[in-house]
Amino acid sequence: MAVAEPYIAPATPPARRGRPAILRAHGRLDVAAASLLVLVTLIALLAPVLAPHNPIQPVGLPMQSPGSGGFLLGTDSIGRDILSRVLFGWRSSWFAALAVIASGLLIGGLIGLVAGTLGGVADTVLMRITDGFLALPAPVVAIAVVAALGGGFVHTLIAVAVVWWPFYARIVRGEIRLLAARPHVEAARLAGAGRLRIAVRHLLPGAVPAAVITASLDVGNLVLTLAALSFLGLGQPQPAPELGADTAHNLTYLLQQWWIPVMPGIAVMVLALAANIAGDGVRNLLGDR
Amino acid sequence: MIQLIAKRLAAAAVIVLALTAVMFFLQKISPVDPVHAMLGPSASPAAIVAEQKRLGLDRPFLAQYGSYLNGLLHGNLGMSYRTRRPVSTDLGSFLPATAELSVYALIFALILAVILALGSTLRWPGSSVFRLLLIAGASAPAFLLGIVGILIFYSKLGWLPATGRTSVLNPPTGPTGFLTIDGLLHGEPSVTFDAFRHLLMPALAVAAIPAVSIGRVLRSSLIGQMRADYVRTARAKGLTERQVVLGHVLRNSVNAALSMTGLQVGLMFSGVVVIEEIFGWPGIGQYMAQSIPAADFPAISGVTLLLGAGYVAVNTIVDILQAIADPRINA
Repeated sequence: MAVAEPYIAPATPPARRGRPAILRAHGRLDVAAASLLVLVTLIALLAPVLAPHNPIQPVGLPMQSPGSGGFLLGTDSIGRDILSRVLFGWRSSWFAALAVIASGLLIGGLIGLVAGTLGGVADTVLMRITDGFLALPAPVVAIAVVAALGGGFVHTLIAVAVVWWPFYARIVRGEIRLLAARPHVEAARLAGAGRLRIAVRHLLPGAVPAAVITASLDVGNLVLTLAALSFLGLGQPQPAPELGADTAHNLTYLLQQWWIPVMPGIAVMVLALAANIAGDGVRNLLGDR
Repeated sequence: MIQLIAKRLAAAAVIVLALTAVMFFLQKISPVDPVHAMLGPSASPAAIVAEQKRLGLDRPFLAQYGSYLNGLLHGNLGMSYRTRRPVSTDLGSFLPATAELSVYALIFALILAVILALGSTLRWPGSSVFRLLLIAGASAPAFLLGIVGILIFYSKLGWLPATGRTSVLNPPTGPTGFLTIDGLLHGEPSVTFDAFRHLLMPALAVAAIPAVSIGRVLRSSLIGQMRADYVRTARAKGLTERQVVLGHVLRNSVNAALSMTGLQVGLMFSGVVVIEEIFGWPGIGQYMAQSIPAADFPAISGVTLLLGAGYVAVNTIVDILQAIADPRINA
């Protein structure tokens, strides 16, 4: 379930200011925020290069506190480097979140496009199904879906993808309905363009900004949801580095070696924070036009 | 208004029915065979056939769904593979703890949301600090808040307990199942105080993210409303800024925040599952968390149905509340 505030295009667009968004002072700030997305992705891509050690093999004394023995974030209960595990966990969390967002955009976008373009009975049926999904607590249903499919990382991604598209279907459908009433669509129809051509060439492009903005505001939520599922054991099996699971498995060390369970949790927070700030930036840049 | 309530209740019933169909379907595609899960791997073929017949697995698909629904109506959610007890019995014993935690978390979330929204909207030196809190709070996973809370308030300061609902050996039982209320009803305020101390950390950890989301929505509608004409009128007739905000603007801003509250309850439930596991809270969340590694589908589906129904109920109430806050809504 996406619970980011949906981006609703303003009814009357704000008066165009003189220079393009990128060159304005606060626009530059937004560009910096949005480029956090690139930075986060770079860290995820380069995790194997950035990680100083193998994340799965013990490489030092167990339970070293952060900074000691050359381990920036310390070592865990069997002497694995926490920094390396966090970097690899970052990588899998981020790519998992992107994969689910992409599938949500794709499935939801397709359903929203079909419903919005066809209208009538198809619209009613598709939107009733969408509303049914929206009326259920998505993270909890996702847990049940994984439990039924039988655990594993891919099953978790499928389960979350199953509950994550309805929000996008709503957004895209709403945009399409607004656009369908615009003169350029009528012009295309009079010019003899077919339904498919109108949908793909004249309606879909207009719905992209709202969908992209909603998605970028939503990535942070998804990172948190996936981390919670991983915490509950619904991620990759041990010993794979996973941010949520690494916290859950090391809770017993909390009172003595706090850094072992806390560091992966902080990594989740930093990842979600970067995603949220970047999402705000993307909204300001795209929504301002 | 009565028409609206009837409509909303009917819609809620349809959604809960759809949820039961989803759960039934998931049970069917699950690779865990209920017969083998109950009888174990060394059961004789005759015993397997007998168990299949007893569970009705030899009957047609729709007939099975019919008897599944019939069972649900009579409170039969199947047997847990893990505890070997009826799921409904398990849920009955764990539900009060979760209900109490969720209700307090929701109350805390609403209070925090109003504080965050007002703190970051009104013009005063601390407002940028509040805005920072809004962004950071939206990004902290519930489990991190939980364990950092334990480190600070239990381990370091020793102010709050870290596990369980109560440290009283024989807490009063019933009538509400809420220890904070039952303690008062039985004339034992110490029980209430102790239960509240246990509640504080887990409830706040669950409440944080919903509070921020609700607070953000409330903040943006507050900002929108502050520009409205009636605010200028109220100021012009000499009301203080406080009277304007609390007496006029807040009520008009509450609608979007209510929708968000309804939505956030779904996310809050997943937080409850995680937080109960961390704090050893004896509720259905911990029950679910422990059922996951055991692949105990009847238990998981029972919790999902219960939380799903709770979510639908909350959102139905939200719809009705919105109509009360804004009488223009009536369809």
